[in-house]
Amino acid sequence: MALTGNGINELLTLEGLAGGASPLHRLHPRAKLLATAAFLVTVLSFDQFALGRLIPFIFYPAVLIPLSDTPFALICKRLVVALPFCLFIGLSNLLLERQTALMLGGFALSFGLLSCLSLLLRACLCVAAVLLLVAVTRLSELTAALRSLHVPAIFVTVLEMTYRYIGVLWGETGSMLLAYRLRGGRAKGVDLRHAGSFVGCLFLRSVDRAERVYAAMRCRGYGGGALFLQKRPFSPKDWAFCALIPALCAVLRLVDLGELLLRLLGGV
Amino acid sequence: MHMADALLSAAVGGTMCAASAAAIGYSVTRIQKDELSEKKVPIMAVAGAFVFAAQMINFTIPGTGSSGHIGGGILLAALLGGYPALLTISAVLLIQCLFFADGGLLALGCNIFNMGVIPCLVVYPLLFKPMLRRKTSLAAIGAASVLATVLGLQFGAFAVVLETQASGITELPFSAFALLMQPIHLAIGLVEGLITAAVLGFVHSMRPEIMQSAIEGSAIGGGVPLRRVLLSFGAAALIVGALLSLFASAYPDGLEWSMERLAGTTELELKGGVLEGAAGIQGATAFMPDYDFKSPEEEGSPLGTSTAGVVGGALTFALAGGTALLISAVKKKNRGAKATA
Repeated sequence: MALTGNGINELLTLEGLAGGASPLHRLHPRAKLLATAAFLVTVLSFDQFALGRLIPFIFYPAVLIPLSDTPFALICKRLVVALPFCLFIGLSNLLLERQTALMLGGFALSFGLLSCLSLLLRACLCVAAVLLLVAVTRLSELTAALRSLHVPAIFVTVLEMTYRYIGVLWGETGSMLLAYRLRGGRAKGVDLRHAGSFVGCLFLRSVDRAERVYAAMRCRGYGGGALFLQKRPFSPKDWAFCALIPALCAVLRLVDLGELLLRLLGGV
Repeated sequence: MHMADALLSAAVGGTMCAASAAAIGYSVTRIQKDELSEKKVPIMAVAGAFVFAAQMINFTIPGTGSSGHIGGGILLAALLGGYPALLTISAVLLIQCLFFADGGLLALGCNIFNMGVIPCLVVYPLLFKPMLRRKTSLAAIGAASVLATVLGLQFGAFAVVLETQASGITELPFSAFALLMQPIHLAIGLVEGLITAAVLGFVHSMRPEIMQSAIEGSAIGGGVPLRRVLLSFGAAALIVGALLSLFASAYPDGLEWSMERLAGTTELELKGGVLEGAAGIQGATAFMPDYDFKSPEEEGSPLGTSTAGVVGGALTFALAGGTALLISAVKKKNRGAKATA
């Protein structure tokens, strides 16, 4: 039986993408992490009606996503997860705030519409930025960056191992579900009455598995820390990227690009 | 409920990241005091992966769909202990945010606080543990799990409301938003609580030592529960205080009400000194100290309140789209050239 749930496929897709070889993949993970953080903070520092000021930030995903060979379709898929609640808040703004902000032709645009659109744009930008980060960086690189940023080692280890165990436990759950289905008259899901023993059993099997894996790791010399850590220095390219993105964000935070563009066009 | 980045302002997101980082740091020091900490790491990691695996199981709950919240904070805290559970949940949330777009990266602080710190470091030690300290019968486990899960989710949902309101993103009035969120999460909490109770009951009957060692906080020498309770009280008060003081600057009227509500149920000391001290800490830890909540009128309408603004925005949009198309076209061409060469 194939594994149910498309979550594992998503993990595999991203892992495949992160193994690519675009210019972005080759950058230092810490540089990418800092650039992403700068982008997120800048985008979120605008107030809720700042639709016009947010639009220039589309350049970040618009330039970097094709550069990194990340399929645009992946972003749409991820937006499906992130959008519903944002949409709810956005629509409630649309309904509750009806004061006219500006007239465009014959149409009156309300503040609610502005905040709704800017909320959705914000959601797209943030989702795209995070996707971009994981699509060009392997988790092992990310965790190495976290270690070098002095995130507690025990937390980073838990993070790495959790990620690695997902596939293992997914298989364990798959075989349990198969057994349940075969003996339970091919029921579609697990009956709620059996939820406790099913999930509890899964947990106990997981713990047993963890103990076996841990014993095996100890036998192979594992001592709690990271065994292999490729230290790679910051290259000039990394420095450039690390400086460029936050600088551009700062400029866009201070300068209204749309207005500037208009003024330039008007001057011609 | 995972918050997305778009629902937060940078100030609230940054503050909550700092608060959650402090809670994680504190948990790490507590775990490292434990001699068995190294041995606990694989179990913590497996418990995290277990959350993902449990999401794969389709429970047939009449009338509702998914069961995405099975690996709730209380369940993990009961199985691992509060501090390890917080680390596990943080790792799970980080993976969900990075690989499944469930919750944002800057919103991670909020999500860890709402779904990790509140159940693991507040509700678990203050409600769940005391309820089971005397005896761990099946009935006691059931009552404690349902109560703790419901309460944890209620606080978590309320924190979501506070954080969204403090970010100034929504036009929903505070009370309406809260009235919407709390009942929904009451229902979710009841279902999750019952499943948690069933799972814990099963684990208890099979391997009673797992929960027992979590409750005793294994190998941290006896006689410290009071200090631990006081410490977690203090940390929670500071963190909640920092949040409330943020909230207070945005909505002075809502503060009294929300304080009464929070203080009435958790008995936290939030008046006077603590709140002022928290405000100072918040000022020092905030990502952008000078970023405060101005009304849109004060800042001047950002879209230029004119058609020109719209045209400028559309132009930028078109330019960005054009750039994206151009780059992909060039890339495709290069790839084609490489393939034929």
